[in-house]
Amino acid sequence: MNYRLSTLFGLGASAILTVLILVGSRNLQNFDSALFGYTVASVIAFGALIFRYALWLQRPATRTYWKRGWQIYLKREKFVQNTGIAAKTFAGNILAQSFILKRGFKRWLMHFLIMWGCIISAMITFPLVFGWVHFELEGDIGYRAYLFGFPLQLMQGRSITAWLTFHALDITAIMVLVGCGIAIHRRLHDRGAIALQQFLLDFVPHLMLIAISVSGLMLTASSLWFDGYMYHFIALTHQATVIMTLFYLPFGKLFHIVQRPASLGVELYRKRSPEMQQAECPRCRTEFSAQIWVDDLNKVIEKLGFDYTLPDGTKLQDHCPQCKRIMRGISYANLPDVNEPVFLGVRAEESKEEVQTKDNV
Amino acid sequence: MKETMFIDPQRCIGCRSCVAACRECSTHKGYSMIFVDNIDRRESTATMPTVCMHCVEPTCALVCPADAIKVSEDGVVMSALKPRCLDCRNCVNACPFGVPKYNTEMHLQMKCDMCFDRTSEGLKPMCASVCPTGAISFGSYEQIVPLRRTKPVNAHTFGEQSVETNVYLMLPTDAENVEVDGCGVFEGRIAVDEESDGQESWMDELAGETNKSNEF
Repeated sequence: MNYRLSTLFGLGASAILTVLILVGSRNLQNFDSALFGYTVASVIAFGALIFRYALWLQRPATRTYWKRGWQIYLKREKFVQNTGIAAKTFAGNILAQSFILKRGFKRWLMHFLIMWGCIISAMITFPLVFGWVHFELEGDIGYRAYLFGFPLQLMQGRSITAWLTFHALDITAIMVLVGCGIAIHRRLHDRGAIALQQFLLDFVPHLMLIAISVSGLMLTASSLWFDGYMYHFIALTHQATVIMTLFYLPFGKLFHIVQRPASLGVELYRKRSPEMQQAECPRCRTEFSAQIWVDDLNKVIEKLGFDYTLPDGTKLQDHCPQCKRIMRGISYANLPDVNEPVFLGVRAEESKEEVQTKDNV
Repeated sequence: MKETMFIDPQRCIGCRSCVAACRECSTHKGYSMIFVDNIDRRESTATMPTVCMHCVEPTCALVCPADAIKVSEDGVVMSALKPRCLDCRNCVNACPFGVPKYNTEMHLQMKCDMCFDRTSEGLKPMCASVCPTGAISFGSYEQIVPLRRTKPVNAHTFGEQSVETNVYLMLPTDAENVEVDGCGVFEGRIAVDEESDGQESWMDELAGETNKSNEF
């Protein structure tokens, strides 16, 4: 692993985000200094995320797929078609997450609520934190949003649009709470989940999201119904939980948020593979995968230090999974030697002489 | 690993109780992760039961681009982590034992995890608890080995590569390992049929849980 390169990527990413914040907020003119803590945490967490991503890309298998995915996508004659496939996959797998629906409706609903709750929240809060979006009061109840300093449409403070805009984070917080509720219920009742889950990996992310959502809703409650009672304390608690979650992003379960889009490349690779030359199992002659996949896999296996070359010159991985099992079965079936003591019904440790003595007796 | 599996293929009668029982496992509900393959139905009734051998250095985990396959503290090689698995099938094609299964619709790899929900509570895996002949047994080395005449071996050689596993294979011979060195000829009689079109007999298709490429 080349940590130096990954560190450089991480630092570079943090630097780029800092520049974008400076430019987007018009030299901090539109920057809200109350959100400074969030900004610093976001810059650090973004660098850490890129550091982790760069490390991840150094795995031999990941690098191979990353390169191959781009190579297949950028083929000039198929570029438009590939973009179509990628867009369709993005809509089905990333936006609608149809593959989770196949695993179960409750699971899908849980993930859908948490994911969209978080994404919408992030799309609202990050631009606000970075000073890319800010609001200005116009007249008595008119609000105008500014994006990168450019004015957008004026909205009436008492309109439904304004209510939805100002309470969007409350709505997403409820989405996240319901999603986390379903997830934790499942984790407390499903035997399989109970056996496999780990507190740090599977519970902590939910608890953090719940902490963020509850403290966020408490801010609304405090300002709406309690005249701002304990507002600063709640705001600080909310900030602390958000920052903790941001720092957890690159190293825990939440890393799949940035890792998952890699499935677009894999999906494209697979959708294109039927047109390619197919790998034929040397034993049963079934076509079980595209040849390029098997060749790539063999290269990765070699890089990892394994050598599965068989005496006939083929690699074990050239065979289909079923033939691999049968070949082992045949090797096993060929083992028995009637002259071996074990075959005669005694333990392997006992010598042949002992067997013979027993037989004579 | 204190307790592990001991596989004795010569005891296997091909009843597939293990295949049915495996579906009951809570970690892969409804899907069986064990294989019972006929070595060659035309020539022999011999069957080969295959569970995950839980390699000490698992090739499947190392070739995973998403780093989704983790090994437990006890050495159990787990199914791919659901949020991470990209359904690339590298593990399926890399495993020297042909164990991991995949499902394209669910974007998921699953494999035998030694019934982690049961073994972590001191229960036997489903397959070992129903096997009528002891072809699949579960226990500690000290418990199982004195009961058997066969020799437990956890070394396998695939051509140039040696693989050490946490699961034992019981050998009816003094050999130190099982050597897989090619397509294989069984007792000098069964060779790969040159005319074969790679099709299974209808019985194999009926009994099979997956296709040849391990899709379930």
